[in-house]
Order: sequence, then structure tokens, then C-alpha cells
Amino acid sequence: MRVRRHNSEQGFVLIAMSVAMVLMLAVMGLAFDLGRIYIARNEAQVFTDAAAMAAASKLDGTDAGLVRARQAVGRLPMRWNLGTKAFSGVVVEFSADRQSWARVTAPDNQVEITFLRAIGGPAVFTVPAHSVAAAKPVRLVE
Amino acid sequence: MMRRANQRGHALIELAASAAVMVGCLAGTFQFGYTFYVYNQLVTAVGNGGRYAAMRTYRASAPSDIEKARAAIRNMVAYGDTRPAPGALPQVANLKPEQVQVEWVMDESGKPALVNVSIADYSVDAAFGMFRFTGKPAVEYPFVGRFAPSESEP
Repeated sequence: MRVRRHNSEQGFVLIAMSVAMVLMLAVMGLAFDLGRIYIARNEAQVFTDAAAMAAASKLDGTDAGLVRARQAVGRLPMRWNLGTKAFSGVVVEFSADRQSWARVTAPDNQVEITFLRAIGGPAVFTVPAHSVAAAKPVRLVE
Repeated sequence: MMRRANQRGHALIELAASAAVMVGCLAGTFQFGYTFYVYNQLVTAVGNGGRYAAMRTYRASAPSDIEKARAAIRNMVAYGDTRPAPGALPQVANLKPEQVQVEWVMDESGKPALVNVSIADYSVDAAFGMFRFTGKPAVEYPFVGRFAPSESEP
């Protein structure tokens, strides 16, 4: 037997489900996508911190020192995206005198967005990081 | 308002079906969200410990000096302090110093060139499931501290 609904009730479930689905995707996006973005940001920052220190420790005012500094950055095994992806497009810059400081930038860390994309968010979110280290750092005294 | 006989129980079945989906989604969201939160804390802790290890004086007059240095770095990762007070809370839930791995890589002259700090084995208890991290997060820093092989740890 067919059930007739009141006119004002027709379509209510569809609207309620649509609103609930958007809210659900937003909550999942905040937890999942934003969580991954923060991790990638943190991983990139830790990498550039170590890379800048590695580069700065090789500086001696010569071109050979710059080559050794770039090699030291390239040898670092650290990865991002929960430790699964190698850093790419890493930029290493030096002070004009080639012995004071090194600056490392990791500009291309693009986190793929899973849930927020479904409600109008971007497909990828880039989380760049950069660090500067002095060639003669202050040492710990303990 | 009276409902027809064939409508009775529909709402209950619909609620049961939708509640199962919703609870599943919320449980998964919590599980991943909390795991990511803990992993992020681990990345920070390991990064700070690695930086400390890189700048720390390397003393090696006896094998116990290296173990003391290793213990100090492990405490720095776990507690944010080389000598934590008794009963101090770890920076990351349930993280113990023994779960932190510290290794120095020596150059040809026997001087430390690099120091690796990583989480050897850590499980996140996210209520609805466990995630286990083995060997990650990990950092490698150049050793830029003072090299004092003949000194003893205080």
C-alpha cells in the first residue's frame, strides 16, 4: 500500500542528508587533510633546519665548500608525507662571502587533499619551509 | 498522528543503518586525526632531540660516556629535558626514552660526522585501533658540537 506524505515533508530527508554529508566531509577533512598538512609542514621544517645546518657546516669561503654544502644537503635521508616522499626542488643559498650562513628552502611539498576537495577545497596544498643556519653556531655548554 | 502498520519500525531501521555509517565515519575520523596529532608531536620531539644531539659535546673517555650522552638525547626527545624530574610527563603520550634510537656516524678520523635520531618502535592507541611506527619519524643532523674524546660526562 502506498504511503502518502504531507506536501511540506517531501524532500526533507534528501536535504537533511545533503547537509549532514557536507558537515561530515568538512569534519573528516579537518581531521584528515589538515592533520596531514600540519605534519608535512613540520617534516619540511625539521628537514630544512637540518639541511641548513649541514650546509653551513661545510662552508669555508671557497667554491669547493659550496659544492660540499650542496652535497651534504643532497645526502640527507629525511622524507616527508609521513616519511614516504623525498624532498624535491630544494634550493640552497649562501651568504655573499660564502662562509657566513646557508639558507635552505623546500618549496614544493604539495599535500594532496582528499576530503576538503569534495566540498570545494583545493586539490593540493603547498607547504613550503625554509631555514637559515650560521656557519659558526653557538655551541651548547653543559 | 497515527502511522500505518507497514511504516512501523522503518524509522528504527533507518536510524540503525545511518547510525552505523555515522559512527564508523566518526570513529575513523578520530582514529586518523588523533594518530596524525601524535605523529606530528613525534616529528617535533625527534627534530628537537636531533638538534640537541647535533650541538652537544661528544665525550668518549669510556663507553659509559657515550651511553650517558645517548640517555640525555633520549630524554630530550621523550621529555624535552636531558634530566627530567622524577614523575615527569613525556611530551608524547606513552613515549619512553628506550623507544628513541640514537646513532652517531663517524668519519674516517673517528670523529662524529652525523647523528641519527629516530623512533624505534612506537604504537599510537587511537581507541578504535592501533598504528605502529617503526623507524619513523627520523632525522639526521650534521654533528657540529665540540669533539672531546678524552673528556668524561659530568
